[in-house]
Amino acid sequence: MAKRPRRILRRRWATTEGWRATPAGMWAWLAQRAAAVALLAVIVLHLRNPFWRPVQATLLALVLLHGLLGVRAIVLDFGLPVRWHRALLAGALALGVMAFAAVWGWRWY
Amino acid sequence: MVLKVFRWAPGFRERIQRFWVPAKEGMTVLDALVDAQRRLDPTLAFRYACRVGMCGSCAMVVNGKERWACRTLLKTLKSGIVTVRPLYHFPLVRDLVVDMAPLAEQTARVGGAFVPAAGPPTAARIGRDAAERRHIDPAIECIGCGMCMSACTMVANDARFPGPAALNRLFTLEEDSRDVGHAGRAAVLLSEDALTRCHTQANCTEVCPMEISPTQSILALRRRAARRLFF
Repeated sequence: MAKRPRRILRRRWATTEGWRATPAGMWAWLAQRAAAVALLAVIVLHLRNPFWRPVQATLLALVLLHGLLGVRAIVLDFGLPVRWHRALLAGALALGVMAFAAVWGWRWY
Repeated sequence: MVLKVFRWAPGFRERIQRFWVPAKEGMTVLDALVDAQRRLDPTLAFRYACRVGMCGSCAMVVNGKERWACRTLLKTLKSGIVTVRPLYHFPLVRDLVVDMAPLAEQTARVGGAFVPAAGPPTAARIGRDAAERRHIDPAIECIGCGMCMSACTMVANDARFPGPAALNRLFTLEEDSRDVGHAGRAAVLLSEDALTRCHTQANCTEVCPMEISPTQSILALRRRAARRLFF
């Protein structure tokens, strides 16, 4: 008798239900990857005109987001309790906002 | 309240069926399902056993998140409409019932069985307060409910990834001084589809009803593997 193919459900990311109750750790992972991809495009724009302020701001924001989420992943790798990962995400985002405000508010040229 | 339940059986198309169930104080999702089955549709299939949050049989996806149906109070869901689906990444049997075999198969495939030392068995000499016991204890209470495998995005994308439950099991064995099966598991653990595949999203940790952190276990195994590379 032919074996019936198995039916396996997968989360449907194109639906609201698929995204509902998405854990914070997944957002952190997704934001870091999205920032990396966006950085590629923004760096190209930045190289064409390094003095374009909106591109400078975007570049700084993306670098901070990508870097600080990377630091979050590294400290978890080094043994910080995974139960703290939500607090680490909040901390990374807060630190990113503060660093952006400090650097952007400082008239350095 | 409205219960939206995933329905499917071999040979039939999937659908979402709505049940109107009178919500009562202290009612759980499992109570609502039982009520719908008894009063409205006796063909509705779902699995449960202990009803008190011990066995994990009633694991399902409620409002987009893996939960125990028997321990999920309707009032905690903050919604008049409750959507119930079977666990993801397991073969469907019918309606909300899935085949849990992949959980055991993946665990067996990666060497998730205790390997005793050769010779006559001896009594364990690991004290109650031993560091080894304190290290392993938080990870040993897995009841095999499968919620972690359902929540894991890597299980969805890589059929060779053993999944959080199997890797958590390997952690308890790798850290156990009585176990001598480390060499046999090394190839699996260091393959490109095991430890390095985990993206540390901690979805498994978020949904584990026993408050185990498979992510923590996977990271500990990674550190152990890295130490072996250099020392």
